[in-house]
Amino acid sequence: MTAGAVSVEPGAAGLDLARFLTGPPGPFPRVPLSDVLERRWLHYAFVTTDERQALIANLATLGAEDGGEPIRTSVLLMYHREHGWTCSQWHAHLPIDPWTSYRSPAPSTAVPRPPDFAMQSLAGRPAVALRLTSTATPAPAGVSHFHRTNWKRWQAQPGVLAEGRWDDGMVPARETLAVGYHERVLGRWAWPEMGGWVFGFCNQLADNPEGPPRWAVVFALLQPMDEGHDHTAMVMVWRRGRMVLFVPRRALRVTVAGQLARDRVTTTPRLAPLIGTFSTAPIPAVLCIDGYQGADWIQLRFRCRDAARLVVPSETSLPPFSVHEVIGDMEVRIKMSGSTETFASPGIVEFAGGAAERSWSALR
Amino acid sequence: MPSGRLRYGAGLGPAGPAAPSRGIDSAADLLARTVETLARRTPSVGADAARELGDIVLALHFGDGSHATLQAHHNSVVVNGGLAPGTVECFFNDRSLLALYDLEGRPSQVLEQGAFDVRGTPEQILAVWRTFQLLAQRAAGLRSVQSLWMTYRQGRGLALAVAANGHEPGPDADVPDAAGLLRGSEAAAESASVATTRVLWNRHAGEGWWAFEGPRDADLFDIMERCRRRVADEILTLIPARHPVDGLYRLMREYPSRGGKGLRPTLCIATCGAFGGHSEDAVRIAAAVEMFHNAFLIHDDIEDESLRRRGERCLHMEHGIPLAVNAGDGLNLLAVDTVLTNIERLGLARTLTMIHEITHMCRESIEGQAVELGWIRRRHVPIRDADYINMVSQKTGWYTCRSPCRLGAIAAGHTRPRELDLLGEVFKEVGIAFQIQDDVLNLIGEEDLYGKETLGDLLEGKRTLMLIHLMRTVSPRERRELHEWLGRPRSKRTVSESRHVLRRMEQSDSIEYARRVAARHAARGARLFEDTLGFIPQSEGKAILRQVIHYVNTRLL
Repeated sequence: MTAGAVSVEPGAAGLDLARFLTGPPGPFPRVPLSDVLERRWLHYAFVTTDERQALIANLATLGAEDGGEPIRTSVLLMYHREHGWTCSQWHAHLPIDPWTSYRSPAPSTAVPRPPDFAMQSLAGRPAVALRLTSTATPAPAGVSHFHRTNWKRWQAQPGVLAEGRWDDGMVPARETLAVGYHERVLGRWAWPEMGGWVFGFCNQLADNPEGPPRWAVVFALLQPMDEGHDHTAMVMVWRRGRMVLFVPRRALRVTVAGQLARDRVTTTPRLAPLIGTFSTAPIPAVLCIDGYQGADWIQLRFRCRDAARLVVPSETSLPPFSVHEVIGDMEVRIKMSGSTETFASPGIVEFAGGAAERSWSALR
Repeated sequence: MPSGRLRYGAGLGPAGPAAPSRGIDSAADLLARTVETLARRTPSVGADAARELGDIVLALHFGDGSHATLQAHHNSVVVNGGLAPGTVECFFNDRSLLALYDLEGRPSQVLEQGAFDVRGTPEQILAVWRTFQLLAQRAAGLRSVQSLWMTYRQGRGLALAVAANGHEPGPDADVPDAAGLLRGSEAAAESASVATTRVLWNRHAGEGWWAFEGPRDADLFDIMERCRRRVADEILTLIPARHPVDGLYRLMREYPSRGGKGLRPTLCIATCGAFGGHSEDAVRIAAAVEMFHNAFLIHDDIEDESLRRRGERCLHMEHGIPLAVNAGDGLNLLAVDTVLTNIERLGLARTLTMIHEITHMCRESIEGQAVELGWIRRRHVPIRDADYINMVSQKTGWYTCRSPCRLGAIAAGHTRPRELDLLGEVFKEVGIAFQIQDDVLNLIGEEDLYGKETLGDLLEGKRTLMLIHLMRTVSPRERRELHEWLGRPRSKRTVSESRHVLRRMEQSDSIEYARRVAARHAARGARLFEDTLGFIPQSEGKAILRQVIHYVNTRLL
């Protein structure tokens, strides 16, 4: 292990118990992946309570082309407000089975635990070793079906607490507390047909750092390329860990304005720019969403600050798929049960897309 | 074209505020000032509106009792106040006027709100609708236009058509509007000179966030001023403050300190941005081009015996010819040195390519200047427009338009000859239109705005397109008289004689002819820009270049 890397106990997540329980142990069904386009992800994103640092991690299992062993990728992306982004390559090391709240039985929070989510770049940094705790109920699963045989199913959970050691290599490693979001995704899709999405969340930092956030918001807008299918959109709101508002797509609007300066966008992993990566469309500077459910409504404005473009190779098209992880400031105004609340908090939004052959993508 | 109550372009100063400095009297006044603002800040919007309108004369009748006509003129639209017949008639009340400005829905949605009526043939009505749509969608994003309409709204006590904040939400009544939030968003203001708002999902349909091709319009007025100031600062930093100050370095600072339009810096920096470069990468080379330009101006003023430059006395009039010539030489040398300093930031390959481009630019300019001075020396006036076009595309076209763009692309690391040539072809047309408009302004422009002495070109005997046209159209006797007059030295040509020649030009339609030729070249440049420069992605840089094309022949200074 390289200097500065984190050390954790292997096998700490206790997966074996799942074998003795009925029902699917999670986080995914026990069905082998049979197709190169089949995908299963666990996604994590956190912002530290001092709002200076953030991390985004993605663990993916993809079907093999020849029916062999599935392909596993893992990427760890870390952000520091003054120093920008750092990222592992696509094979960050996972010394233990990663924590997920979608596993049966759910990890106990009653006793002190060793880190149950650890990742590190093969270079040693960036690296994290965290104890994760869920404080909020998961959202209902969202499903998008597009291009005849393509589908995507996801389930999100805000208010996940992360406590432990962060070592992004840009500032000295430290123990810190962060609040974030966890998601499981499964489905079968090709990137060009997927089109793109806008996903995001924010947690209002609580007065009690060990409890659920006072307010949390998660939103999703899936925009498949197939004209025959509609977009999928939703906004969900949690109050003190309980989901209290679900805004369906027919009751919400999503608007963007301006462009984030290209200088604010860092392409990752670091090798990506060296292999002839296509340019992408500019990221909007501001995102606004408004929606209602009965007499309740929500209005949300996200101002993009910095972005990292994660370049994901596409199996079926020349341009890669790009997931822009954008850090920014979220302002939320909610009217519920007759009273209006306003809060501001850091948020993370994904603007993803770009694998479809378009005129701008043929540039370089 | 009627000229009695023409409002377009009237009273535009070089540094007018973005916000309206006086109240807006009526809806017709609002429209006229909107068109004025567009002509100044985003000329391509006016050009596109003119193309949609074609030969339609749109008679507009507003709810406040005012009337105006809107019609195309060359590459822009013009507004005349007052009641006049038109080929299409439009009736608005205040609500439908504001609904139109806020145009985000389909025509039927605006029409549903009533009190908006259009009379004309179906084809004409559709053309008018496209014009309104274009003006609303592209002009409404311009902050100075927003400010005008806000003043009008406030003056009339009107509210926007969209739901206001605080409106009780629900399925039948909208929630506070996200697009409304964006209008007041500082972040949107920071991100681009023109706020570009797009709806990704409107409850029923949507478009991909990535489908946005980039802004089509940019506020040229603001950007030119910013580029000019940045490059002028760079030049003043580069000119040393050492001995001899009074005889050389102070003189070298004079022309760069006097301002100017900032066209070359804008082209250079915008092209660099359009090709994906950082704006600062192009500042040094833009400064070098400006130094060459100022050196040319000093020498040119001596060669042409000019009196005024940028609103003040020419350098040789102020300090004498020998010192002025020397200061020009000094600027030329410093410009070469400035090009070389790019090595630190951009590396050897780009810098060498720039030197190659600069050498070519200087050669073309000097050859063009030699052709023009040769005509004057030999008392020759070309008969064909093509001779003039060739001369100006060498003399001005290269260093005013083509090279700044090519150098901007090189600063961004883009050196493919084929693509640089395509860029050059577009801006060759733009350079020609620029020079013709420059000649026109010398005859009919406002001296304070234009900065050179009015009729200076006639006094200097410059071979302009108007003069060539006049020589072609007058009688043989008058042509002989003109030849004789042009053959005299400048000191023997009087202002009253020049005024007479100008009158003959107006009678012979020579000025309007020149404007038509300029508009034709600008339009050709615009067509080539859209047809051949598809390899440049839409961006703010490209949007600025698009505005410049139309600016060159609608400019007033």
